[in-house]
Amino acid sequence: MSAGTPPLSTPSKPQAKGLNCPKCGAAITLRTFGQAETVVCGSCHSILDAKDPNLAILQQFDAATRISKPLIPLGTRGKLRGTDYEVIGFQRRHSKIEGITYYWHEYLLFNPYKGFRYLSEYNGHWNDISVCKQLPVVEFAAANYLGEVYKHFQSSDANTDFVLGEFPWQVRVGEHAVVTDFVHPPRVLSSEKMDKEVTWSIGEYMYGREIWEIFKLPGAPPEAIGVYENQPSPVTTNVRDIWIAFAAFVFLLLLLMAGFDMLAKKDPVFDQTYTFNRALAKGEQSFVTDVFELTGRTSDVEIKTSAPVDNHWIYVNYALINQDTEHAWDLGREVSYYHGYDSDGHWSEGKQSDTVVISSVPSGHYFLRIEPEVDPLVPVISYTVEIRRDVPVFGIYGLAFLALLVPALIISWRAYVFERSRWSESDHPPMDFSNLSGNSEDA
Amino acid sequence: MFRKFYLLFGFLTLATAAYGEYRGWSLDSTTQIKNVPRSVRDNPGSYRAIYVGYHHYTGGK
Amino acid sequence: MTQPFANCPNCGAKIVFRWSSSVQTVCEYCKSILVRTDVDLKKVGQVADLPPDSSPIQVNTEGMYRNKSFVVVGRILYEYDQGGWNEWHVMMNDGKSAWLSDAQNEYAISFSANAQNLPAASRVQVGQQFTWSNERYTVSVITPAHYRGVEGELPFQYWDKTDVTFVDLRTESGKFATLDYSDPEPVLYLGEFVEFDDLKLKNLRSFEGW
Repeated sequence: MSAGTPPLSTPSKPQAKGLNCPKCGAAITLRTFGQAETVVCGSCHSILDAKDPNLAILQQFDAATRISKPLIPLGTRGKLRGTDYEVIGFQRRHSKIEGITYYWHEYLLFNPYKGFRYLSEYNGHWNDISVCKQLPVVEFAAANYLGEVYKHFQSSDANTDFVLGEFPWQVRVGEHAVVTDFVHPPRVLSSEKMDKEVTWSIGEYMYGREIWEIFKLPGAPPEAIGVYENQPSPVTTNVRDIWIAFAAFVFLLLLLMAGFDMLAKKDPVFDQTYTFNRALAKGEQSFVTDVFELTGRTSDVEIKTSAPVDNHWIYVNYALINQDTEHAWDLGREVSYYHGYDSDGHWSEGKQSDTVVISSVPSGHYFLRIEPEVDPLVPVISYTVEIRRDVPVFGIYGLAFLALLVPALIISWRAYVFERSRWSESDHPPMDFSNLSGNSEDA
Repeated sequence: MFRKFYLLFGFLTLATAAYGEYRGWSLDSTTQIKNVPRSVRDNPGSYRAIYVGYHHYTGGK
Repeated sequence: MTQPFANCPNCGAKIVFRWSSSVQTVCEYCKSILVRTDVDLKKVGQVADLPPDSSPIQVNTEGMYRNKSFVVVGRILYEYDQGGWNEWHVMMNDGKSAWLSDAQNEYAISFSANAQNLPAASRVQVGQQFTWSNERYTVSVITPAHYRGVEGELPFQYWDKTDVTFVDLRTESGKFATLDYSDPEPVLYLGEFVEFDDLKLKNLRSFEGW
C-alpha cells in the first residue's frame, strides 16, 4: 500500500460544556431553564447574561431553527414495517405553481442495517417513501412499475429552503430538483432530477394517526386538508362491489315478482254493469250491491271502474263494507277521457277505465255502497264495476328498486367527487363545466 | 364496511317488498272506517264517510 | 446510531445529543444543561450534515449470494462532493473476486466483466443506454469521486487521490452496472441489487444503541 493514504477515521467526539451560572458557578439544571429568553440561576437567582457564550449558542441555534419545527422531532425512533428507524434529518421544500407557493416537509429515517427511508408530509397527508431499485418504464403520460400502471399527476420544481440534521447527500438551502409524480393510489412513483442524477422513488400513503402511533407523538396529528395525489379513496373500492350487489338484488327482485305473480289468485269476485240516468235518479243516487265473498289470506282488493266516457267524466264514490265486522274502506275514483286535435296533431288525456287497489282486506262477506256522480253534460251513461281479489302490486317493486338504487348512486357520486377533488390539484384538472361556454371568442 | 350495510339494507328491502306483496299492500290510499251500521244496506243514502266516532245509530235521513 | 455522545463535563456520565447538530441536552444523572460548542451554527438550517461512515458490513463479515458463500476481505471508501459510499471487496467460495457496494445501505453485488467498445468518460451522459449480456442498461448517475480510505485486501496496488469518474447504470429488472474510469482503460462491472436480508450476513458490525 502506498504511504500517505488517509486511514479510515472515526468522527470526532462532540465537545460539550455545561451551562453554568457565572456568578456562583452552579450548574443550571432543567428545572429553571424553560423557553424563556432570560435564564435565572436556581441557586443564587442571578439572571444569566445573554452574552454568556453557551447561552448565546442556544439562542443562535433557536433563531436558526425557528423557521420550521419538524412534527416528528429529530432523534425520535419508531417501528415502520417491522424495522426500527430513527429520524435523523428534516428538510422543507417548496414549489411555486401558478404564483402560489406550496411547502412540504421530508423526514429522513435511518436504520444502520436496513438503511434509509423517507417520510413526506404535506397538508396533513403523509407518505412512506423509499428509493426504487428497478427503473420504471415511462410511456407518454404513464409509468409502469412492478406490474402497476401509474398515471402522470404533476411535474414541478422543488426547492429546499430549510434543512436540519443528516442526509445521505449534502442537502443545502437553494438545492433544486425537477420532480415528476405518477400516481396509482395508494402509491406514488416520483422521479427527481438533480443536475446529472435521476432518482426514482416509490411512496405509499399514510394517515397522520398512523405516524403518531409509530413515533408515539403527543397530541393529535394535523388535519389532512383536501385530497392528496395518492390518497386512497374511502369509497372507490366499494363502487364496483355495490353495483354488483345491486345487480344481484335486482335479479332477486325479479324472481320475487315472478313468484308473487304466480302466487296471486287474481280471483274475479264481482262484475256488474250499472246505468246512470239523470232523468230517473231524482236525488239520492247511492245504492248497495249484493254481498260477495272475499276468500283466502288477508290480501288486497282491486276495483276496476270502466265507462265509455268521451270528453266527459264520471266520479264514483265507493265504500267496501264488511257485512260482519262493520269495517269499511272509503274511496272515490274518477274515470275521464278527453281527446282532440290541435297544432301538434292528435292528443288525448285520461282513460276509459280506472283501477285502484285496497290494501290488506281480511277475508269475509262484503258489499259495495256505490254513489256515482256524472259530468252534467251527460244525461245517461253506463259503467262497469269489476272486483278482483289478491292481485300483485307492481308499485312495491318499483319502490324497492329505487331503494336499492339510491345507495349505489350515492356511493358512486361520492367516489366521483373524491376523484375530481384529487385531480383538481394535478397538471390535468377535470374539466370545469362552467368554463365551457363563452370562451370561444378568439378569432 | 359499507358493503355489509348495503347487503343488510338490500335484504331488508327485499324482505319488506315480499311481506308487502304477501299482505296485499297497495300504494293507493283509502280511508278506513269502523262501525258502519248495518242499516246502510236498507238505506244507502244514510251512509256518511265520517263514521269514525259514531258508535250508535243517530237517525238520519 | 448517529446520535453523537460524549461525557458530562460536570459529572462524567454519558450524555447523548438527539441528533447530529443538536446543541442542547440534559445529563441524566446531574440534570445539568449541556451545550455543544463544536457545531457550526452557520450551517444549521442551511446545509445538511453527512452521516458518518455507517456501513454495517466489516472485514470478515460473511454472507450468501446466489447460493455461494462469501467473505469480506477488504474495503474502499469513496468520497464525492455530496457524500460517500463503500465498496467491499469480497471473495466468493469458488475463488472469484467480487464487489459488494454499500451506498446509503443500498446493496449491490457486481463482478468485473469483459466488454469491448466501452465509451470514454467524456462521452457518457445520463439517460444514455447500452446493451450488455442481452440487457439494456440506462445511465442513472455520473459521479466524480476519489478514494477516502482503504482497508484489508484489495486486488490492486496503486491508486492516486485525484478525482475519477464512475458511471452507474440500472435496468428495468433490478440489474446494476458500473463503468470505472480509475484506469486509463475503462472497466465494466455487471451485477444486480440485492436485499440486505437476502445476503444473510453474519458477523456484522454492532452499533451502540441498536
